[in-house]
Amino acid sequence: MASKAAPERKATKGRERMSRHDGFLSHKGFRWLWIATILSIACIVSYLMIDVQPRHNGGSWYGYVLGTIGALLILWLTMLGVRKRAITPGRWSLKAWTSAHVYLGLSLIVIGTLHTGFQLGWNVHTLAWALMLLVIISGMFGIYFYAALPRSLSANRYDEAGAITEKQMIEQLRSLDRQLHDAAQPLRAEEAGMVQDSLEQDPFAGNFINRITGAYPGCATRKSIAALRRQRAYLPKLADDPLDKVDALLTRKEGTLGKLRRHLRLKTLLQVWLYVHVPMTFALLAALSAHIVSVFFYW
Amino acid sequence: MSFIVRQIALKSDGGEIVRSNTVAETSITVGRNSENAVHLADLAVDPVHARLTLESDGRISVTSESGLKFELDGRSVSSGMIDPAKGGELGFGGHLITVAREADVAEPVLTVRRVDAVSDSAEDKDLGAVYTLKGLLPGKRISAWGFLLLVLAACLAWPIYTWSQYKDVKERPAGFHADTMWTSGKLSLAHKSLENDCQSCHVEPFVAVTDESCMTCHKDDAHDHAPKDRILNARAAPTGFAKFQRDVATQFNRPAGRCVECHTEHEGAGAMQPTQQRFCTECHDGLDTRLTDTKIANAADFGTDHPQFNPMIMVNPAGPDGKPVFRRVSLDSNPKEINGLKFPHDVHLSQTNGVAQMGRRLGARYGFGASLDCANCHKEDPSGVWFEPVDMEESCQMCHSLSLERVGNTVRTLRHGEPQLVKADLIAYYRSTPPTRPINLGGMSRRRPGEANAQRTAADYARAVRFRPSRADEAIRAVFSEGGACYDCHAVTGGQGGSLNFGIQPVAQTSRYLHKGWFSHEPHAKEECSTCHAAKSSDQATDLLIPGIKVCRDCHVGEGGASLFSITKPVESTCAMCHEYHADGGEPWVAREKDKPKKGSSRAKTVALLERRP
Repeated sequence: MASKAAPERKATKGRERMSRHDGFLSHKGFRWLWIATILSIACIVSYLMIDVQPRHNGGSWYGYVLGTIGALLILWLTMLGVRKRAITPGRWSLKAWTSAHVYLGLSLIVIGTLHTGFQLGWNVHTLAWALMLLVIISGMFGIYFYAALPRSLSANRYDEAGAITEKQMIEQLRSLDRQLHDAAQPLRAEEAGMVQDSLEQDPFAGNFINRITGAYPGCATRKSIAALRRQRAYLPKLADDPLDKVDALLTRKEGTLGKLRRHLRLKTLLQVWLYVHVPMTFALLAALSAHIVSVFFYW
Repeated sequence: MSFIVRQIALKSDGGEIVRSNTVAETSITVGRNSENAVHLADLAVDPVHARLTLESDGRISVTSESGLKFELDGRSVSSGMIDPAKGGELGFGGHLITVAREADVAEPVLTVRRVDAVSDSAEDKDLGAVYTLKGLLPGKRISAWGFLLLVLAACLAWPIYTWSQYKDVKERPAGFHADTMWTSGKLSLAHKSLENDCQSCHVEPFVAVTDESCMTCHKDDAHDHAPKDRILNARAAPTGFAKFQRDVATQFNRPAGRCVECHTEHEGAGAMQPTQQRFCTECHDGLDTRLTDTKIANAADFGTDHPQFNPMIMVNPAGPDGKPVFRRVSLDSNPKEINGLKFPHDVHLSQTNGVAQMGRRLGARYGFGASLDCANCHKEDPSGVWFEPVDMEESCQMCHSLSLERVGNTVRTLRHGEPQLVKADLIAYYRSTPPTRPINLGGMSRRRPGEANAQRTAADYARAVRFRPSRADEAIRAVFSEGGACYDCHAVTGGQGGSLNFGIQPVAQTSRYLHKGWFSHEPHAKEECSTCHAAKSSDQATDLLIPGIKVCRDCHVGEGGASLFSITKPVESTCAMCHEYHADGGEPWVAREKDKPKKGSSRAKTVALLERRP
């Protein structure tokens, strides 16, 4: 008898080991995509087959069934926040849980919308539906960013010398700043002031808009480079001009800052959707409670 | 006279390296250049920033060499004095120079220390935070709880507060009420005025809308459909899924049989949704099996299972009490209606006969076309539901003239509907008018020769004058007999044995045939009359031109689209399209019709006419 099946592995050659990375989207051969698709199709077909009079609405028996499924689904989807903080053993891996979260969450578009019977208005019920869509759409952005950005993030961190970590990125800047500081010592006060501006600016400064666009119009380093070059434009070139070194260092610093800022922009995109997804989920839970209570209150 | 300059540098482990240097000069400079006695490798410092001079009184004067200021004991100055005995602190860029006199040395000691980092990046960075959005956006946690509380407060607490404020108030004032945000859809037009007053129907929290709320306004028009015990007996007990639904509803405190079960609300502005067929067929499908003594035929679906119509038709225009006698008869028995008139529809609608020709001649005056059509005589009621009774003077008299004589420009006519007056008018006419005077009477014109002829003419005329009044009898007989004006359309009574006691059999017109259901002509206005009414082939006034259910089923199918044969453009028809549950006398599609003031309108008249039931 063969022992328990080993985890799936590609054929190995010699001492080389290969195992395929299975992300949460393609987990177990898109198992949850299939389940969510079947669930959605079942809802659409039953919506079309079942003749609710006078027309489909959340208050028919069919509407209540969809509403109950949707509400329970929302509560379960919310539990991902709890699950991911609880490191637990067992069959339900966090990856499986995330995969189910993504696909069942998407199927909620169908379930929730059919629950409304397409009767929307300016009321608490439609608010709950709109918040649900907002949460789902922000989640879709999240999936897209998670799928597309890590590649760019890695690419950005690589250079000729290999990959650098976030800590190393700061160290690079610190080193450049020290060199700049030293190189600028012989400069006249005015020029030294320009270099000083670059040194004194926090490389992480900038508001949310700067971060997400990657555009920093107030970058002191770039300004210093421009100002120094403007100043030197009509001066004679000397053999051993300390400004040459300063200029080269500032240019290198600008490059490093650019890399850092690209990194920050990608990281912002990876994080920002959660700033919508999570608060809107809580707003949705509140609206959902109001929706359910109001239905029974004015029964 | 000299200074001791102590440069302190930091080791990476936090320890200090102190380099001490004695400068044997009374005046030294501070600056970035290495030639300075106090050399500060600081870009914020000028190459030669300031000069320190040891004064004769032991104090040190500090003056700016570059014009740039420096800090003296925290104040930004261009020059100042420091007494080393008291101590002082000079600030240049990121460096601090402490000036002091130490106990065992004579010279003032300048301790130089870098206090600011070379650059911002050199300062400590929290790696866990700088690469996140911390500080750039409101935190997820705070905004999550904020939104949660905001929505709960606005959408839950506020509406409940509103509800509690008006709990015992009969009618809420106008203005915004927070609980209106709980509405699940617009109210129907009939209830539009209640849109802002949720509590007019939703009185108790967590208690489904009760009939009591409805009856506050509808006590006059929401009649019981049938005695309660009969309704209960007639109703089939739900089975299968319907029973499950009923059980669940009961569990959730939604009792069955409430008004709102049939009359669903919040389905959007517009007419209230018609009551679903199932609420009727629960009883009427197989009614005879549960109510064995019922005279009402079973009905389950208009398209497939509905009895033939039983219109109320007139069997005698004047019963023993002088009122018309009606009877409900199935259209399947091919009933005849007796209304007292002689009226062949086919003759009047023909396109080729004398009627058509007469119509063409009078067309310009009365708006007739190439031949007569239905609308020339049958005028729609303003509501469009039905037709006004045909009026003889308006619709018949232009052809069926009752003219008697012309006085000047006025034509005198016999009075329609008053046979005794007709007789009296004829008698009076012959009494008061002389016979036509012969042209050869008197004078010389046209006279035949001879006296005898003149006398004969005079004698003939005198006799004619004398017997003139008795000619009336003849005229009366003529008008009431075949070929006479009355006889053409009416059944004449009396006149036997030369008597003049002629009379007209009473005439009545039926304005509504289908009393158990409602029919409105208005939505059928696009159809030709002949689509449903076979008037062109009717040669007797007794022909009943009301179409049977088969004709309706050419377009109308059941609620779910069921029909006995295929129909290209089916019109789904619930029971409520024609039948009215509460029997308040109004059309099923108009609430409380009879309660609306319609004084003087033709509708009021017609309703009065309708109430002449047998």
